[in-house]
Amino acid sequence: VGSVAVEDQPDVSAVLSAYNQQGDPTMYEEYYSGLKHFIECSLDCHRAELSQLFYPLFVHMYLELVYNQHENEAKSFFEKFHGDQECYYQDDLRVLSSLTKKEHMKGNETMLDFRTSKFVLRISRDSYQLLKRHLQEKQNNQIWNIVQEHLYIDIFDGMPRSKQQIDAMVGSLAGEAKREANKSKVFFGLLKEPEIEVPLDDEDEEGENEEGKPKKKKPKKDSIGSKSKKQDPNAPPQNRIPLPELKDSDKLDKIMNMKETTKRVRLGPDCLPSICFYTFLNAYQGLTAVDVTDDSSLIAGGFADSTVRVWSVTPKKLRTVKQAADLSLIDKESDDVLERIMDEKTASELKILYGHSGPVYGASFSPDRNYLLSSSEDGTVRLWSLQTFTCLVGYKGHNYPVWDTQFSPYGYYFVSGGHDRVARLWATDHYQPLRIFAGHLADVNCTRFHPNSNYVATGSADRTVRLWDVLNGNCVRIFTGHKGPIHSLTFSPNGRFLATGATDGRVLLWDIGHGLMVGELKGHTDTVCSLRFSRDGEILASGSMDNTVRLWDAIKAFEDLETDDFTTATGHINLPENSQELLLGTYMTKSTPVVHLHFTRRNLVLAAGAYSPQ
Amino acid sequence: MESGKMAPPKNAPRDALVMAQILKDMGITEYEPRVINQMLEFAFRYVTTILDDAKIYSSHAKKPNVDADDVRLAIQCRADQSFTSPPPRDFLLDIARQKNQTPLPLIKPYAGPRLPPDRYCLTAPNYRLKSLIKRGPNQGRLVPRLSVGAVSSRPTTPTIVPSTTAVQNVLINPSMIGPKNILITTNMVSTQNTANESNPLKRKHEDDDDNDTM
Repeated sequence: VGSVAVEDQPDVSAVLSAYNQQGDPTMYEEYYSGLKHFIECSLDCHRAELSQLFYPLFVHMYLELVYNQHENEAKSFFEKFHGDQECYYQDDLRVLSSLTKKEHMKGNETMLDFRTSKFVLRISRDSYQLLKRHLQEKQNNQIWNIVQEHLYIDIFDGMPRSKQQIDAMVGSLAGEAKREANKSKVFFGLLKEPEIEVPLDDEDEEGENEEGKPKKKKPKKDSIGSKSKKQDPNAPPQNRIPLPELKDSDKLDKIMNMKETTKRVRLGPDCLPSICFYTFLNAYQGLTAVDVTDDSSLIAGGFADSTVRVWSVTPKKLRTVKQAADLSLIDKESDDVLERIMDEKTASELKILYGHSGPVYGASFSPDRNYLLSSSEDGTVRLWSLQTFTCLVGYKGHNYPVWDTQFSPYGYYFVSGGHDRVARLWATDHYQPLRIFAGHLADVNCTRFHPNSNYVATGSADRTVRLWDVLNGNCVRIFTGHKGPIHSLTFSPNGRFLATGATDGRVLLWDIGHGLMVGELKGHTDTVCSLRFSRDGEILASGSMDNTVRLWDAIKAFEDLETDDFTTATGHINLPENSQELLLGTYMTKSTPVVHLHFTRRNLVLAAGAYSPQ
Repeated sequence: MESGKMAPPKNAPRDALVMAQILKDMGITEYEPRVINQMLEFAFRYVTTILDDAKIYSSHAKKPNVDADDVRLAIQCRADQSFTSPPPRDFLLDIARQKNQTPLPLIKPYAGPRLPPDRYCLTAPNYRLKSLIKRGPNQGRLVPRLSVGAVSSRPTTPTIVPSTTAVQNVLINPSMIGPKNILITTNMVSTQNTANESNPLKRKHEDDDDNDTM
């Protein structure tokens, strides 16, 4: 690639030239009908699999006709066959119907990507042999050419799949995922918690067992940390990626966390959490992003008027650091110097942060509550200090709207994803990204870190979810199955599973280690825009644009996984229709879509949304 | 906010009906009624811009009439300017490959707030204080003068300076300014000396301020 980016015309015409005339345009309808007839007459067991061919063939043949400027043939081809396609492709077909001339194709990135990336079909060997034999007869050469050039047929040995199995996995813009794409090893285990000495001042025999004293015989170890000294084989090595060291304030936080953990409510089907809903009034659909700190003390809202507002949830007000003049007056040696540097006079419950020049679509607090990130339509991600409530850095890289951003669970790194179809990994002290995760065919809507901070999951408008390795930027997992753009992602606390929600109203559950879909939760009637597991992973809460919050039994969903050799090798699982059993409760709000969900450390659910009466 | 009234009334101009049909074909079912007006305005503006450009190209080529080639050229030129789209996929894969090859940088311990170099931060002050009390030329500036590069070039956060009647006490952190490491503490009305001796590197623009009115 000589000169990069500006003049992409040569690339485009190179890409499109492969659509050069290969067959007689008037015969296309016949070819397609012929294939349709063949497939409909084939055996039942093969028909479902071979029907997967219809959609990619239809699109490629149509695009060939358009490119070679046979407008009328293209139009009649479209008219005749577009109704046959599966219902979940209707949105794509609508976009396709607006491409009637060659010039239109040049501007449409999605269609160009569709053409350059091979559509992946997974077909059993028997069905494939059948198809190949049929197509290699001379009158079907045209279709065989297209199949060879534009489709990738991932052949597996075994029983052909049923329509139900296929329907669960298809739907993305590029077909399914090749089996080998999901084969690499993923370290989904959690990192070991560091051992911290806990002050046992409110319990236990020795009253003087305080922090700071030299190690006694049996200091109480971190109860969350792994008891065994053995390395979990599924956990990444501690130093696989550089992580910031634990500061004293972080250690204090962890101790607080542990104390809260002991008071945590154990949830289950018979002990459901209470849900506390924070409704943003008078936001008039301007609320575009929400985040809550881990200790549930602050809520941030990103708005369409480009402001970010931070509220204190607890009675403790928000204070900024004093001005320089006053700072020089305080006694630096006093014990409560950290309190004294805060200005009481301007303390308030709400602080407004100005700086962005477009709606704020993503917000994320840092784990140590010192920083807030916000990503906006103006293409920048801004880092705000929560001590001075001013903007510290603007990270420019995406030149297009940035739809989501998130801090790493250990701080220091953050990930952002946007309209330019890539997700970027940044560190707060580098003005350029450290990693670029490229591969999606459409906007990256949602980005989340794995609890061990070694992997990033991205959900995209191309209806796939990809898992990326932070160490080297490789895509280690591709999950297809959603029928609409994905808007929410969440990892389970044990790091093994991923839950995703999309505009099709379904929540899908994925096993990261094996790379398989393990569950499907049906129930919502509109986009699922927020998902969260409870602190110990027993309950999955989902919030949707249909104004409800639903609670699902996560333990039951993940048990009884049939991961025998066949299923792991071929990636097929028979999903039970158990959504009704797994649904523990549906809670309706008064016309308030649920934008954000959060479990407090004691397993109380906080939900947030803007009241939008219709 | 009303999604109820979508279809334009029957006596709407033909263009509005066509636009409503286009919206329907593209799958957009809920929209405010004024969207049609905005779309029509956009269409009008786009077409007139293209035709104007085409006329210019045509007259440049000394042709008697505007023909399809001129229009085609006009469309192409405008498309490169206004309707940009994200980079193509192979370009992104390429730069991703390059960027992902470098190993992750090690994290230095005990580094305080981990922020990029000051040039890339928005932490520098973006204001300059004027002296309100006019003094003779050699009696020193009460205005803390920042290094020249700092004020004009970078976008910085607007900070609200609480206004009082005299010049503030400004403590400028050396790390916020950059290479010149100016540490100035100016006290209120009284001192002339501190400002004078604080920084020999400051240029003295003796007459600048006097030109400004308050």
